Amino acid sequence: MTNRKITYKPIAPEILELAYTHGENREAILEILTELDRRGHLNPETITDTARALGIPAHLAYGVTTFYSMLSLQPRDQILHVCDGPVCWLKRASGQSTVISKQSSVVGDWAKEIPADDWTVERTSCLGLCDRAPAILVNNEQAGPVTPEEAAKVCEGWRGVPTDYSVPRKGEVRVMLANAGKVDPDSIDSALEHGAYDGLKSALQKKPEEVIAEVEASGLQGRGGAGFPVGRKWKFVAQARRTPRYIICNADESEPLIFKDRVLIDTNPHQLLEGMAIGGYACGANEAFIYIRGEYVRQAERLEKAIQQAEEKGCLGEDIFGSGFSFHIHVHRGAGAYICGEETALIESLEGKRGEPRLRPPYPPTYGYRGRPTAVNNVESFSAAPSILKNGAAWWKSLSSYATPGTKLYMLLGHVNNPGLFEAPFGLTLRQAIDDFGGGMQDGSAFKFALTGGAAGTIVGPDLLNVPLDYASGPQKGISLGAGAFLVCDQSVSVAAMLRELLHFFAAESCGKCTPCRVGTWRALEILVRMADGKGRKGDVAELQALSDNMLLASFCGLGQAVPIPINSALSNFAEKFEKAEK
Amino acid sequence: MTVNITINGQPTQASEGQTILQVAREHGIRIPTLCYHKDLSPTGNCRICVVEVAKQRFLQAACVTQAWEGMEIQTHSEKVIKSRKLSLELMLANHPQDCITCDVSGECELQDLAYEYQVSVPAWGSKGGRYPVDSDPNPFIRVDMNRCILCRRCVQACAEIQVRDVWGVTQRGFEERIVAGAGTTMLEARCESCGQCVAYCPTGALSNKMNYGLARAHQVKKVTTTCSYCGVGCQFDLLVKDEKVIGVQSNPNAPVNGLALCVKGRYGYDYIHHPDRLLKPRVRRYLLGGSKKPAISKQSSVISEQWEWVETDWDTALDITARKLNEIRGASGPDSIGVLTSAKCLNEENYLMNKFTRQVVGTNNIDHCARL
Repeated sequence: MTNRKITYKPIAPEILELAYTHGENREAILEILTELDRRGHLNPETITDTARALGIPAHLAYGVTTFYSMLSLQPRDQILHVCDGPVCWLKRASGQSTVISKQSSVVGDWAKEIPADDWTVERTSCLGLCDRAPAILVNNEQAGPVTPEEAAKVCEGWRGVPTDYSVPRKGEVRVMLANAGKVDPDSIDSALEHGAYDGLKSALQKKPEEVIAEVEASGLQGRGGAGFPVGRKWKFVAQARRTPRYIICNADESEPLIFKDRVLIDTNPHQLLEGMAIGGYACGANEAFIYIRGEYVRQAERLEKAIQQAEEKGCLGEDIFGSGFSFHIHVHRGAGAYICGEETALIESLEGKRGEPRLRPPYPPTYGYRGRPTAVNNVESFSAAPSILKNGAAWWKSLSSYATPGTKLYMLLGHVNNPGLFEAPFGLTLRQAIDDFGGGMQDGSAFKFALTGGAAGTIVGPDLLNVPLDYASGPQKGISLGAGAFLVCDQSVSVAAMLRELLHFFAAESCGKCTPCRVGTWRALEILVRMADGKGRKGDVAELQALSDNMLLASFCGLGQAVPIPINSALSNFAEKFEKAEK
Repeated sequence: MTVNITINGQPTQASEGQTILQVAREHGIRIPTLCYHKDLSPTGNCRICVVEVAKQRFLQAACVTQAWEGMEIQTHSEKVIKSRKLSLELMLANHPQDCITCDVSGECELQDLAYEYQVSVPAWGSKGGRYPVDSDPNPFIRVDMNRCILCRRCVQACAEIQVRDVWGVTQRGFEERIVAGAGTTMLEARCESCGQCVAYCPTGALSNKMNYGLARAHQVKKVTTTCSYCGVGCQFDLLVKDEKVIGVQSNPNAPVNGLALCVKGRYGYDYIHHPDRLLKPRVRRYLLGGSKKPAISKQSSVISEQWEWVETDWDTALDITARKLNEIRGASGPDSIGVLTSAKCLNEENYLMNKFTRQVVGTNNIDHCARL
């Protein structure tokens, strides 16, 4: 590079217009950049202009652009986003003896099957389409499962069929999914016929403190994976003195194995909106955001449509049902970053910055979006709220006989006969999930291990098959429930390879802020690639353990602290296999 | 409000809102830091300052964790040392093994910590440079991102001290790096070459171009001086080697400016030993001979040799100046003369000029460049 003569250039009219349509709001930078990317106009010059038009430093706009995986400085006409998550990997690798190792080769091999020379193929860490694995995103349209035969038809418009969840499995207890298949998700009239917004109506007849007391009494625990009591969080927000207060729904469902939020939005979007409004009424918030991951294009559109319909019917918006309570929900699309599921990173992203986690404390209930008290809850948590308000805390408690009350959406994947999603009370064992709900292991498959909870979950062997899972007891016994997913693997899958796929995911999604996670995930992946390939060296296990310990102890945020969960569980549950892999 | 805490078994008190690092430093306990700097807002990025707090599942970064009542802190437990060592190793893994030729060797915070904790570049690390060396054409600042440990002190120094927002962070995870503007050159990203980023860089990622390779920390004598450019009075150290000034370095103890300097103070020192520097007064030749000012021919481009500058001694030069001032004052009156003094002069000199102008010349036409 050499120094060029710097001359003043006015901001390009295209950028000025885009900035103007977004009120020159710096928080709208992701929308503006996404639009520029769609037009193929994303380059350092337009990025600098965008920054100038929004009154922010150029590096910030550039940092944001390069942070999110869906944005690219290369103009692209037609894009295939190929899912590179562990479930899709498992589906693709099944039946192959070779184990796919490098990320480039995954996408490369995959692209070969699709006759799309003029298409840009990009990898995505996980598309949230695990029930349609192997999945792809064709110009932002969800497609799958893509077998080699179907791959040829992708460019001709083949998209596959979304999984149908309208019929409950035997033994299911449906609360959040009660109306799945019964209501038309795109019609509020149909939703209203099935009792939508009844929970909100009953909430509005109570005082906000009574609503919080009801939710607290129900024992509803957050469904993002950590299980923090929802009622207590709402109480913190309601008690925080600063205003305005905000409600945020975390729909940045980017963890491999997890797709429950997508199903909830697809089957019953009004249930979520209603839950958010209840939360808003309880916390004293009048504005809310749904932070939905950029890959869920259809779901974001569905939510926007639902919000519009609900506002027209007076179920949301100003003076809801004549109660004087007003509540507005906005949909905010992400652009591809798992870390934005961490609540403080999500808030940073919502504020138009790089999605890097904030220092905690202060926590969002006291210092969240725009520095104001903010309740961030998962889609599933909000979706549970309407039924609790309608039927009462005692009813919700009666659903489960275990420490965590209520029902949970479970995702069952891998080598079982009927993979997919189902709803059941807490306290399910892995064996029940496989045998009672999943129709048992596939023919010729014997249970070897399962990844439970999500990518940041535990890798467990057969000895933990009978542990009833809830947020209280599971983790103590070494098996985590997390967001409620099980990836069941048979004898053909190597534990080291599965762990490698997980580290591949974490290394790609680490935000890079702190050293232990930024370099630790990368180094752990390097070791696991070698081990899974049968080229392990002496000392590998010890180094992996040391990296894992350091990530757990010293990482900045929950992402780095969660990576050791699968590593440690795999190393302790399958110590022999790893020792063998060393030589 | 104070809280009772225990550091390394020693009961003590901390005021509410104080971080562990602040309390430890008050008590003479050294907790190592890299991304932390007292002038910048703490971020907790590097994880070197982690300490063990009783009953906490994770280690806590001392630079950002506030002391609370009953906190029991271990700053150098086995667990802590192990974690610091590994984090250092992870940083070194991405760091070239070129301390032997690196300009900042000897005053590099990473090197000091690696020495203190006896951590070397791991066998698997340092697989060669990932970025071009000396990658930015800025005339003063040398950029070598291979040596960067992503502490982001440069980003903060640029944003919080100089408020130019040149440096930023791009990409994420292992690919993350520091970048100027939208991936442009520094100057295009509004850099004014103040060098604050260099002063705050703990490693050799950002260093000075003008004296790169001229001397290392232990080879120079540091002479603290006050900047002669303007009236602010910034202090810094001149780096002197073999009786020659080879560079300027911020002095953290400078009362006015701390580590901050402007481009002139930090990089405008090359006039000191410049061959073209004026060391004696010069006058036009015609003034020496006492002849009249020669006319400049409009036709000819050749200028009379009477216009040439001639070196002379101070007495002659001052005599000529006094004579000419007298002539002007006699012919056009004292208000035809005006005096501008300079911030490069001492207070005493400026005072004398004031007296000279008002009492000797007899005019109030006096001003100063720092009055603007």
